[in-house]
Amino acid sequence: MKKLLLIAACLLAACKPADPSNASGKPKVALVMKSLANEFFQTMAEGAKQHQAAHATDYDLVVSGIKNETDLVEQVALVEQMVAQNVQAIVIAPADSKALVTVLKRAKDAGLLVINIDNKLDATTLQQAGLVVPFVGPDNRAGAKAVGEVLAKKIKAGDEVAIIEGVTTAFNAQQRKAGFEDAMNAAGIKIVSSQSGQWEMEKANGVAAGIVAAHPNVKALLCANDNMALGAAAAVQAAGKAGQMQIIGFDNIAALKPLLADGRVLATADQHGDQLAVFGIEAALNALKDKSAPVDQQTPVHVITK
Amino acid sequence: MRRFSDFLILFTVLVAMIGLFGLLRDTFWSVPTLGNIANRIPALALVATGMTVVMITGGIDLSVGSVLGLCGATVGVMMADWQWGLPLAVLGSIGVGTAIGGTTGALSVKLQLPSFIVSLGMLEMARGLSFLTTNSQTKYIGAAVETLGAPLGGWVISPAFVISLLIVVAGQVVLSQMAVGRYWIAIGANREAALISGVPVNRPRILAHALLGSLTGLAAVFNCSRLGSADPNAGVGFELSAIAAVVVGGTSLMGGYGSIMKSFMGVLIIATLEAGLIQIGASEPMKRVVTGAVIVAAVLADTWRRK
Repeated sequence: MKKLLLIAACLLAACKPADPSNASGKPKVALVMKSLANEFFQTMAEGAKQHQAAHATDYDLVVSGIKNETDLVEQVALVEQMVAQNVQAIVIAPADSKALVTVLKRAKDAGLLVINIDNKLDATTLQQAGLVVPFVGPDNRAGAKAVGEVLAKKIKAGDEVAIIEGVTTAFNAQQRKAGFEDAMNAAGIKIVSSQSGQWEMEKANGVAAGIVAAHPNVKALLCANDNMALGAAAAVQAAGKAGQMQIIGFDNIAALKPLLADGRVLATADQHGDQLAVFGIEAALNALKDKSAPVDQQTPVHVITK
Repeated sequence: MRRFSDFLILFTVLVAMIGLFGLLRDTFWSVPTLGNIANRIPALALVATGMTVVMITGGIDLSVGSVLGLCGATVGVMMADWQWGLPLAVLGSIGVGTAIGGTTGALSVKLQLPSFIVSLGMLEMARGLSFLTTNSQTKYIGAAVETLGAPLGGWVISPAFVISLLIVVAGQVVLSQMAVGRYWIAIGANREAALISGVPVNRPRILAHALLGSLTGLAAVFNCSRLGSADPNAGVGFELSAIAAVVVGGTSLMGGYGSIMKSFMGVLIIATLEAGLIQIGASEPMKRVVTGAVIVAAVLADTWRRK
């Protein structure tokens, strides 16, 4: 029993965070992510860790993420823990654009600097809460529009297309859908169906198969992320329509490379995921250094076609 | 013939659904649509088969969705990273699934823990391992894995569908004709009575969980072959679809009663509903409301009939 207690004590000690108000005076930045299980956020967190390793003398970094992308309660608790750990700044990719505002207000009232990355906090909610949080990140709508424009050049006005959306409640999913719509409307292309594939490959595969069967004239599938584009490509192939339909994605994940190379997927967007958290951290560090209030900052999105 | 008439009710529900969707969307009654449904169900059919057996013994396994993800990750790493062939990947995937299912079974039987809790722990562990093995990255495998999911010789049906159908039938034969099937039912109906009558109660239960694990491993291979890739996030919430299919098929949550063929009807009903809702372009909230309502209605119909 004593041994067990000793082991437990050691484990607890190991879990205990390093003294936050460290003597060296280095600022401590907390990066609060969505699901670290998601390749996109994993890449983002890795980029941040590498940046910290290269600038170890400038700041300390605590990275944390939630288990499930929609687990708001867990993310709220993470922010509270970061406040309790006395970090100087929180760089957050909010799991929900409204539900995190209250806890972030508490963090800011406690004297922390808050920077919003990835999923933009809702402007109206921020206003209601009397909170100003700068957003450092890409314009998903403009990015999706740019990929959509590449597609619009491959097909013609009057053609039918369908959108496979992400999780419908997510702001970036809504923005990507809006961006696709912008590009299609501008080119006079008809969107005959728009359904959610929940960001997942297998679900998107089922949705794509159903759309292709129900709308035989569909010329293209516009997918709000690359995982869903992979699922859609498999559905198009199974329907015997490989080569007759175009697919576009978003995110530029490694697994999509072979499909971009042989044309099964026409284009995707790269928002430089590995740098997204870094942009936010740099904005936080600059603001901490010269005690200024950071402002909104747009980060680049590039269209990738091979 | 009570069992046959139970089967008939489910069949009527299925036919009514196909009829309704066909009226709403003229493309629904078509070979491509039926092909879609047929080629999308193997994974759910296999897992529902194993889940039926586990539930008949009075257990449950909540980890199948995560295990599906982990077995898929195994296939992805073996084939995309290590360049191993499909046969080895099939063995690897089934091996991982069997090991996890067997562990769940052994822990809950030997330590007398509820399988609900043990498998809940496994759900977390398997998902974590799935992310660890793939480094959270989707693996693109390509043609090497696609043979099992591609239509057979230009026809609409895939080998995966044929194999899963054979396994469903074999499972029903084992359940209703072989000694181990009788043991499963006896254990689920009344474990004390089974023990007193000399029925082995531990091994058949562990076997049931291991069987579910191995079928989940095969299901993961089928999913990867249909998609050409392995997604470490695959199967989130899949356990609920599997349990829904089994319950719609009339298997008791308390154990002691159930049929694999009827679970397969449950799978068909759920898959048809899903495909139909996509084709009529139902919104995401409507899809969920309707799916939930159909599950409850099917169970109600089954309960009323048996009263």
